[in-house]
Amino acid sequence: MKIDKFKLALLPITTVVFGIFLLMLIVYVSQSIPIFKKEGLAIYTTNVWKASETGEEFYGVLAAIYGSVYTSVIAVLIALPLSIGFAVFVVDYAPKKLKEPLIVATDVMAGLPTILYGIWGAFVLVPLLKRFVMEPLYEHFSFIPLFSYPPITGYSYLSAGVLLAIMVTPFASAIIREAYRMVPRVYREGAYALGLTRFEATKVLLGYIKPAILSGFLLAFGRAIGETVAVSLVVGNTFNINPSLFAPGYTISSLIANQFGNAFIYNYMPSALFAAGLALFVIGLVINVAGLIMLRRWSHAKV
Amino acid sequence: MNAIETENLKVWYGDKLVIKGVNLEIPEKTVFAIMGPSGCGKSTLLRAFNRLLELNEIARVEGDVKLYGKSVYEMDEVVVRRKIGMVFQIPNPFPHMSIYDNIALGVRYNKIAKNRKEIDKIVEWSLKKAALWEEVKDRLKDKASNLSGGQMQRLCIARALALRPEVLLMDEPTANLDPVSAKKIEELIFELKKELTIVIVTHSPAQAARVSDYVAFLYLGELVEVGKTEEIFEKPKNELTEKYLTGRMG
Repeated sequence: MKIDKFKLALLPITTVVFGIFLLMLIVYVSQSIPIFKKEGLAIYTTNVWKASETGEEFYGVLAAIYGSVYTSVIAVLIALPLSIGFAVFVVDYAPKKLKEPLIVATDVMAGLPTILYGIWGAFVLVPLLKRFVMEPLYEHFSFIPLFSYPPITGYSYLSAGVLLAIMVTPFASAIIREAYRMVPRVYREGAYALGLTRFEATKVLLGYIKPAILSGFLLAFGRAIGETVAVSLVVGNTFNINPSLFAPGYTISSLIANQFGNAFIYNYMPSALFAAGLALFVIGLVINVAGLIMLRRWSHAKV
Repeated sequence: MNAIETENLKVWYGDKLVIKGVNLEIPEKTVFAIMGPSGCGKSTLLRAFNRLLELNEIARVEGDVKLYGKSVYEMDEVVVRRKIGMVFQIPNPFPHMSIYDNIALGVRYNKIAKNRKEIDKIVEWSLKKAALWEEVKDRLKDKASNLSGGQMQRLCIARALALRPEVLLMDEPTANLDPVSAKKIEELIFELKKELTIVIVTHSPAQAARVSDYVAFLYLGELVEVGKTEEIFEKPKNELTEKYLTGRMG
């Protein structure tokens, strides 16, 4: 048998990539064990952050899990109409000369270093949201729990959610755009031939790519929940579980980023942060895998 | 009465002239076949009738198409497409929708029925017209993608009929079907011409001979010959037509 040397050379590279992934998972699990032994599941189900060098320590990251999910849900809800609208515009309406530049621009936006979004968010977006969204809503609708928290600083779930929405829209819209562009011409023609208006035909064709849209949003959610630095600049970084959009909070990744520097002074804080990371790991893995499976199943099932 | 007339119809793709000034008269309640070798502009011509060409950014139309004497280019394009139904070369029911919804869709959006009951009636009526009712009446909620190719094509005919069109355009409707399914479609064409005008594009002279009353021979965007089917097949006036019909070109 002839041995393909190139293939042989690639094998260890592949192994290393997957090996690192596996080892990483193992590290997260093993590093989380001390806190699990000490607190059990309370690390995930309570909202306490008692760090002490001498006395009793106790950590519960529920506020961060809550904040991560809350901000990502806000982000996806905002990104949903934006990215569908943008995808349809680029494919159906944008003049030919504008199409490619628009696509390139969104791809660049999707790939920008996130700190750029973070600084802009902290200095521009947050004050704007505070002044033109939060304060008016709080003034008139503070009896609704969603708007009941006084927007003192503006750093809040809403700010983080809106910023994340801006960040994931180019990404989600790229997935939707590609799927929408791939709709076979026969269906496009078929819809119009039935006397549908542009709006009606678009609705039908979006129905055809619904699985791709859904997976686009799962993947966008996965991105949003994993985002760290931009969020930590605008979310407020407060251990808080509040239904109000205007309340400051924490996310898992911003918690880790903020606390890691001095975590090693304490006995259990590193382990608590690893456990928080493990939660993020699991959520991210499940969401991304679900999104990818959905996308793949759809593109294979297509006629 | 002519269902469709074209006046010096020209179509450009970019700066390429693909339909070079076609004058046609299509009498109502007949089957009118447009035949010609592939690439001669048959499908393009058909899409100029229901203004589907407008989906193509680079297509430009000059001249006129009249539906019962009224220019389609002066009508609302949605109305044009409702009055001039179309069936395509590739059966294209929406695969993510049920058999029922594929038909109900156009009916709902064009506000042809007022309520669910009326839609039910139209769905049944059009499926019967398309000779598909008996095969699907117990599985209307099934996805359209579960049908066979021939059934899909009849579903497409049903969904076009549901809008009560005056003209039905068929763009090589049997090109992707097995012979048995193709025969069913041809039989259907025979039935349907009692009530509406059918314009069928085909690259097969044999099919044109079987189904049509009139036939037009299109070659490189130009109308070479047009007339009653039996006359043209018996005694083509043009040499090109004769070549095509005898299989020396195609």
